[in-house]
Amino acid sequence: MVNPIYIIILSLLAGFLLSIFDKGGRKLSLTVFYSVLTFNVFVIADWFYRFAILGVSTLTINTAGFSAPLSINLQLGMLESFVLLFANLAGLLSAIYLIKKFKESKISSLILYLILIMGVNGLVMTRDLFNMFVFLEILSISTFALTILTKNKKSLSAGFKYMIAGGVASTFFLLGVIFVYYFSGNLNLEFISSNDFTNYGLIGVFLLAIGIFIELKPFPANGWALDVYESVNSGIVAIIAVVNSAAIIFVLYKILPLLPTVYLSVFTGMGIVTYIFSNLVGIRQSNPKRLLGYSSVAQMGLLAASLFYTTKLGVSQNISFLIAGGIFINHFIAKALLFWIAGIVKKNNIKDWSVLRNNIPLLILFGISLLALSGLPPFPGFWAKWEMVKVFVGSKYYIGLSAILVGSLLEAFYLFRWFGYTTKNKLNKETMEQVQFSQIFPIIVFVLILFFTSFWIMTNVYSLNYFNYLPLVAIFGMFLISFLRSKVKAIISIAAVVLYGYFLFPLGMSIQLLFGIIFIIGSGIVIISTINRKNTGKGFYGFLLMMIFGMGNLIIAESFLAFFINWEFMTIAAYLLILRGKRAKIPAIVFITFSLAGAYFILAGFGYMPNIANNGAIINTIGTIKIPLMAMILMIIGFLVKSASFGAHIWIPGAYAEAEDDVTPFFSSMFSKTGIFGIILLAISFIKQTPDFDLFYWLGWLGAISAIVGAFLATFQEDVKKLMAYSSMSQLGYIIVSISLLSHLGWISGLYLTLNHFMFKAMIFIAIAGVIYRTGTRQMYKMGGLIKKMPLSFITVLIGIIAISGVPPLSGFGSKWLLYNSLIEKGWFLQAGVFFFASAVSFLYLYRMIHSIFLGQMKYEHQNIKESPIWYLIPQVIFIIGIMAISMYPNLIIQPLNTIVGNYFNSSIVIDGYNVTSSLGYWNGNMVMYVTMGVFAVPLILLLLINGRTQTVKQFNIVYAAERPESPQTTHFAHNMFSHYYKALGGLTKPRIQSFWNYVSEGTNSLAGLFRQIYSGNGQTYILHIILYIVAIYFIMGV
Amino acid sequence: MIFALILGFALLLIGIYGMLSQKNLIKIVIGFSIVDTGVHIIIVSIGYLRNRTAPILNSVVDLGKAAQQVVDPIPSVLVLTAIVIGLAVTALMLTFVVELYKKRNSLSIDDYQELKW
Repeated sequence: MVNPIYIIILSLLAGFLLSIFDKGGRKLSLTVFYSVLTFNVFVIADWFYRFAILGVSTLTINTAGFSAPLSINLQLGMLESFVLLFANLAGLLSAIYLIKKFKESKISSLILYLILIMGVNGLVMTRDLFNMFVFLEILSISTFALTILTKNKKSLSAGFKYMIAGGVASTFFLLGVIFVYYFSGNLNLEFISSNDFTNYGLIGVFLLAIGIFIELKPFPANGWALDVYESVNSGIVAIIAVVNSAAIIFVLYKILPLLPTVYLSVFTGMGIVTYIFSNLVGIRQSNPKRLLGYSSVAQMGLLAASLFYTTKLGVSQNISFLIAGGIFINHFIAKALLFWIAGIVKKNNIKDWSVLRNNIPLLILFGISLLALSGLPPFPGFWAKWEMVKVFVGSKYYIGLSAILVGSLLEAFYLFRWFGYTTKNKLNKETMEQVQFSQIFPIIVFVLILFFTSFWIMTNVYSLNYFNYLPLVAIFGMFLISFLRSKVKAIISIAAVVLYGYFLFPLGMSIQLLFGIIFIIGSGIVIISTINRKNTGKGFYGFLLMMIFGMGNLIIAESFLAFFINWEFMTIAAYLLILRGKRAKIPAIVFITFSLAGAYFILAGFGYMPNIANNGAIINTIGTIKIPLMAMILMIIGFLVKSASFGAHIWIPGAYAEAEDDVTPFFSSMFSKTGIFGIILLAISFIKQTPDFDLFYWLGWLGAISAIVGAFLATFQEDVKKLMAYSSMSQLGYIIVSISLLSHLGWISGLYLTLNHFMFKAMIFIAIAGVIYRTGTRQMYKMGGLIKKMPLSFITVLIGIIAISGVPPLSGFGSKWLLYNSLIEKGWFLQAGVFFFASAVSFLYLYRMIHSIFLGQMKYEHQNIKESPIWYLIPQVIFIIGIMAISMYPNLIIQPLNTIVGNYFNSSIVIDGYNVTSSLGYWNGNMVMYVTMGVFAVPLILLLLINGRTQTVKQFNIVYAAERPESPQTTHFAHNMFSHYYKALGGLTKPRIQSFWNYVSEGTNSLAGLFRQIYSGNGQTYILHIILYIVAIYFIMGV
Repeated sequence: MIFALILGFALLLIGIYGMLSQKNLIKIVIGFSIVDTGVHIIIVSIGYLRNRTAPILNSVVDLGKAAQQVVDPIPSVLVLTAIVIGLAVTALMLTFVVELYKKRNSLSIDDYQELKW
C-alpha cells in the first residue's frame, strides 16, 4: 500500500531528473520513464482493489502537515481509483505504443509525457479548486507541447489553435475559481456548498462550469480540438482523446454538487446537442482520425449529458454509475484502440483502409473496436444505453431520448460504412509495413480488458441466463477451430445447432415449439447446403451460429433485456454475413442502418415497458402485463423493419441479392420471421389485456399494402434473388395481416403461413443457389431451358411456386383457404380483395421465374452444365417431403396449431378426420390432394395411350414454326418480360419509397455539409465560437 | 477595488478583442497576454480590503494583529501562481509561432487553415 501522493512526487522527480539520466544513455532514461508509469499503474490498481473488493473507505491525503482547508488535500476513493486506473493504464500502454518514437525523440517528449500523466492524476485526486486549475494547466501545457511530437506544418498549426482556444477556456475557469472563492470564502470543495451562491454569486459557478465544459469540446465550439485529432501523432491523440477527457470529465463530476438545477438541464441539453451534431457532421468525414475526433467529441457530449441528467434526477448511484461508467469505459477503450489502429494503418482516407485486409488479426480487432464504439452488446456502451433509455423514458425526456437514438444511429452509420470500405474496397498491391509488437501489444491488452468488462457487467450486474452467452461462445468457438476444413466445420455447426435445440427447447405444444422448428431445425437443414463450399473463409460458421443462436434465444429469452441483446447479436451476425458477399458493401450498410434504426425503436419501446415477472420465457409471461400503446407502436415499427414491410422494404433486395447464395435462405426463411415473432409477442399481451386503441387494424392494412406492393415489385425484377426477396416481402404481408386479425382462425392461418413460407422459401432459395452456382449469373434472361439439365431443381421450384401461389393441391391452398376464411369471418372484405389481387399478381412473378430459368430455349453456354451439387439437393428434398406431408395430411399441422392458438383464443374450427370446418365451410386437404392427382393422372394416361409415338427433336428443330431461329434468345421471351404491365401501371411504378429514403439520406448529408462549414479552419473563428458559446449559454441559463 | 475590477475586465475584453481582430500570430499571443493580465488584476482586486497593506510580514505589520492589517493573502498567492502559468503558456505559444514561421514564412493566421471541416 503506497500513498498515492507518491505518484505525483515520483513523476515530478523523475521528470526533472530524466534529462540527467539521459546523459547516461537513452536506455537508462527510458527504463526510468517506463518504471514510473508502471509504478503508477500498480499503485492505483492496488488501491482500486482495496476500494472495490475489500471495501476500504475513501482515502484523504493532507499535504504540508495541515488538514484542509489550510492545506490542499487529495482524495482517492472508488471512483477516483477507477478513473485513474484506466488513465494510468492507457498512459502506460500508449507509451509502449510510442516506444519507437520515444527512442528517437528529444528527451523533452518523455518528460512532457510523464508530466502529462502526473497532471491527470493530480487533477482527478485534488479537492482544491485552485489546485485543479494548476493541474489543468500542467496537463494542458504538456499536451500542447506534445502535439508536435511529430512536427509538421499541420500539427504545428493545429497545436497553435488548440493552445489559444484552450488558453481562453482555462482563463474562464480561473475566473470562475476566483469568484467562487470570493463568494464562498473557500477553495476547497469540502467547504463550499451550493448555498453559498445566490444572485450574482452564481456567476462564479457559471464561469467555473463553462470553463471546464468548453474543455470538453461542446458543439459548435470545438473546431480547435478536431484539428488536433486529425493531425497529431496517434499515440498522443489516443491520450488526448481518452485520458485528458477522462480527467476533465471527472473535474466536471467533482463540481456538479455546486451547480443549480437549471444549469444541469441546460448542460444536459448542450451535451445532447453535441452528441447529435458531432455525429451528424461525422458522416461527411473521410479522414479516419478526424472522424474519430468527431466521434470522441460526440461521446464526451453524451457522457456529460448522462452525468448532468442523472445528477439532476437523483438517479440511484448504481444506475448512474452503470450509465456514466459504461459510456466512459466504452469510449475510453474503443477510442484508444481505434486511434492506435489508425496510427498503424497510416491511411488518410477511410476508403483506402482496405490495406488492413493484409493483416487479418488487426482487422478483427478493428471490427471489435467499431462494434464497441457503436454501443452494441456485449460491450459496456450497450448496457449504458439500455439503462439510459429507461431513465429518459421514466422522466419523460423524449426530445433527449430521440436525439440520443438518432445520434447513435448516425455514429453507427459512419463506423459501419468505414468497416464496409475496409472489408470491401479494392485491395491494391500495396502491403502494410510490418507491425511492431510494441504497437499491437497495447491493442491486445485493451481488447482483453474490454471483453473482461463486458463479461463482468453481463454476469455480475445483470446475471443473465447462461444461454444468452451462446451466440458469443459460438463465434469464439468457431474462431478457435477456424483452422479446420470447412466441411468439418459445417458438420460441427449442424451438431451444435441440434444440441442447442435439444437441450434448450421446451417441447410442449406452444408457439415456442413452432418457431423453434423454424429457427433451429430449419437452420440445421439449411446448413447442409453450405457443405458444398470448398472454402468458407474464416468466420463464416461463427457468424452463422451466432445468428442462429441469437434467433433461438429470442424464443426462450426470460427478460426484455435478454430479448434485446439477442436481437442485437442476431443483427450483428446477419450484417457480417451479408458483408461477406462480393458486392455487398452498399447493401450491408443499408441493412445495418435500417436494422439499427429498427432496434432503436424497439429499445425505446422497451423503455416504456412495465416490469415483467422473471419466471420463464417472456413469450409465456407477456400476457400478464399491459403494454402501453406507445411501447406497442415503437416496437411494432422495429419489428416491421426486420420483416421488411412496406416503407422499410428497401433494404431487402440488396441484402438478399448480394448475400452469398447459400446464406440468403437463412434470411428469407428464418431471419425475417423474427419480426413476425416479435409482433406475435406484442399481440399476445394485446389480446389478454383490453386494448384502448385497435392498433392491429392498421397493422393489417400495412400487411395488405406490403403484400400487393411486394408482389408488383417482384414482377418487374430481372434478378432472380431480388424477385424472391420482394416475394418474401409480399408473403410476410400475408402473415402480418393474419396475425393482425387477432382471431383464432386468423392466427392459425398466420402460423400456418409462417411455417409454409419457411419451407418453400428455403427450398426455392437453395434451388436458386444451385442454379446460380452452375450458371454463374443471377439474371434470369441469361438462363433458360435448364429443365433438361437440372430436373431436380426444377421440381423443387415447381413445387415451391405451387405452394406459394396457393393453388390446390399443395399446402399453399390450405393457407389461402384459411386466410380468406379468417378475413371474411372478421369482416375485412376490402383487405381480402387486396389479397386476392396480390395473389393474382404473384402468379405473374412466379411464372416469370420458372419460365425464364427452366423453360424455353437453353443458351449455348449452358450446354454442359450439370444438376446442382448433392449438398444443395439434400435440403431441397427434405423440404419437399415436408411440404408434401403437410399437403397430404394437413392435420399434421392444423391439429397442433389448433392446440397452440387455443391457448389464446376460443376455437372456431372443428377438425373431424381430414375435414377442417370453419364457420364458412370446410376444407379437406387429403381429398383435394386425391382429386387433383386424379385430375392430373387421367389426362396423362389418356395422352400416353393415344399419343404413343413421340419423336425427340433437337433444340432448334422447330420446323413447324416456319422459321429457323438463329439463337436461343430469339425464341425465348424472357428479358423485360412484363414490360406491358409495367407500362400499364403508369405513374404507379415510380419508386416513391426509394426516392423518399434517398431524399432522407441526401438531406442528412447536405445538413452535415452545412454544419461542418462552421469549422472554417481559422483559429480566430474558433475563439469567437467559444466566446459566443459562453455568452449564449449565459443567456439561456438566465444567470 | 471596484476600479481595479473594472480595469481588469476592461483589459480582458480588450485582450479578447485583440485576439479576434488581429491577424498576426504574435499580436494574437499579445492579446492572450493582455487577457491574462486582466484576469490577474481581477484576482488581486478580489482580495483587496480597504486601508490594508500588502500581505507581507515586515516591520510595517504588527505580527499579533496581522490578520486585521493586511489584505486577503490568498488571491495574492494565487495570482503569483497564475502569472507563472501564464508566462509558461505565452512562452510556449511564441515557440509555436516561431516554428510556424520557419515552416511557412508567414505570420498571418489566415495562412494556417488547411485543416478544416
